[in-house]
Amino acid sequence: MNKIMYLEFERCIGCRACQAACRECGDHDAKERNYVEYVDFTESRQTFPMLCMQCKDPACARVCPANAIQITEEGVVLSAMEEKCIGCRNCTFGCPFGIPKFDFETNKMYKCDMCYDRTRHDIAPMCASVCPSDAIRFIDFDEMQQLRRKRTQMNLVEGKKPQEGNKWDYVPEFFGVYTDSQS
Amino acid sequence: MYKFEKSFYSKTSMYSFGVVLILFFSMWVSTSKFVHIDMALLGYAISSAIFAIGLTIRMSFWMWRKATNRVAKRSVNNLFNKERLKRNSKAIVITFIDNIVLQKFIFQRSLYRGIQHFMISWGCIISFGITFGLTFGWMRFDLIDPETYQIIVFNVPTMKMAAHGLFAEIVYNGLNIGAIMVLIGAAMALYRRITNYDVKVTQRFEFDILPLLILLAVTVTGLILTVLYTFLDGWMHHYMSLIHQVTVIVMLVYFPFGKLFHVPIRPLATAVPMSYQEVVKVDTKACKSCGQPYSNEDQIADVQAILKSQNFDLQLSDGTYLSDYCTGCRRRMRAMKQMNLEAPKGNPYGPVSTNNGIHISGFSKKRSEDFYGIDQDSKEETENEPVSR
Ligand code: SF4
Ligand code: SF4
Repeated sequence: MNKIMYLEFERCIGCRACQAACRECGDHDAKERNYVEYVDFTESRQTFPMLCMQCKDPACARVCPANAIQITEEGVVLSAMEEKCIGCRNCTFGCPFGIPKFDFETNKMYKCDMCYDRTRHDIAPMCASVCPSDAIRFIDFDEMQQLRRKRTQMNLVEGKKPQEGNKWDYVPEFFGVYTDSQS
Repeated sequence: MYKFEKSFYSKTSMYSFGVVLILFFSMWVSTSKFVHIDMALLGYAISSAIFAIGLTIRMSFWMWRKATNRVAKRSVNNLFNKERLKRNSKAIVITFIDNIVLQKFIFQRSLYRGIQHFMISWGCIISFGITFGLTFGWMRFDLIDPETYQIIVFNVPTMKMAAHGLFAEIVYNGLNIGAIMVLIGAAMALYRRITNYDVKVTQRFEFDILPLLILLAVTVTGLILTVLYTFLDGWMHHYMSLIHQVTVIVMLVYFPFGKLFHVPIRPLATAVPMSYQEVVKVDTKACKSCGQPYSNEDQIADVQAILKSQNFDLQLSDGTYLSDYCTGCRRRMRAMKQMNLEAPKGNPYGPVSTNNGIHISGFSKKRSEDFYGIDQDSKEETENEPVSR
């Protein structure tokens, strides 16, 4: 798998199609695992989608006392293993982005797994396949690089040059699951 | 003490040694110096000892994890705090009854899964209890007169029962009852694993299906054994008991290293009502930004300590940590930072800022270029404990 989830928050129109799609995904038990929220409701109606970053070194797994959060060989960070999770919610508080959700009744932690049954076969996750404004995209690594470059160029056109200290500011957010091998 | 510890290869081997010693001693006591030992069960005894060693090794490694260690330590400290006596006992009793005896949360997932798990777990508890009890000689039956048996527990005579009473029948057939329960439960589980598309998303054969097959092998051979000596006069009995013994040994050796290991770690669930969230769904710590309660002081302290001990840099420029904010605020912070919306100080005409002040490998200002050097990377790896993969 060499595909990237590419997020552009500004493009979000707040239709919540991604959440509806997420509920339909296999093993999601009709509960959405992604978020669409207002940036600042008093200022504007701008919304943004939020998904799990599938961290390489996930804080959620590191703070889990039961060692219940597993990472697949592709690099997807899965929801807690149901039999191990003791329901402490450390993962929710440890995650820098506040992603894992918890269901108290069934004692289940659930989080975005990039629709593992789909992405494992290089099919776009539910949210990315329905997003009408391309705020969430599931694209090739090369395409992602191109988009990043474009964004950087946008800044250059405006007369600002990246420097050694701040060059990362010119790179848009991307994340996802990819391996260096071109498989 | 230190010297004693040093005489072992590792702490884990010291603990294992202790466990085996205790087992041996308990055997010695309850068989009155090995007089009443049941030699037919020797194979089981040895594999049970291996099982105990495996369990000790896994438990000590699990406890060594920083997160587990921290949570367990706090719980143990709280356990011996007199002021918390009421809270502790309530937490332990409720967790024990709800989570372990009744397994309410699994019935919430679905009735089918509830029954399936209830059958497997109680069947296993009954059978394990009897097997270990008999192999280590913790429990035995003595015929005191032709009509009465006496149950001897740890070499202490306890109750008597009529040799052909109803109670005696239940005791003799304990293993069969346990086996039938496991058979029903494991068959239900296997059926679900094979037919349900949802579970197939993350299921792995060696982790989710193999233990079911092992349990089925043990119960089926065990039940065949019963059938052989009750209805067929023990025909082929010898071979069958050998096969059964092999399956049991495989299960005992497998137990600490596979899915079944979730059983011994379950008691940690008491840590939640004991040290963290006392009443379900009632939070006490307020978010630094929006003021909504979202967690608990002790828990956030633990989370921060665990993250710090593993070199996660999640501190913001004003000295607060990301875990001081509720999950909603944390998500908003990330989006605002990224869209360069952090008024009033942010420069609205600046470049599109994608750096949210949070360390993500490759995107942090705080890491210099040489961090990505190969040697450095591999050093990081060895310093951190491995995540399960
Ligand atoms: S839940 Fe949070 S910490 Fe865990 S992988 Fe996702 S973004 Fe990373
Ligand atoms: S809630 Fe479950 S998955 Fe999350 S940290 Fe606690 S035990 Fe681990």
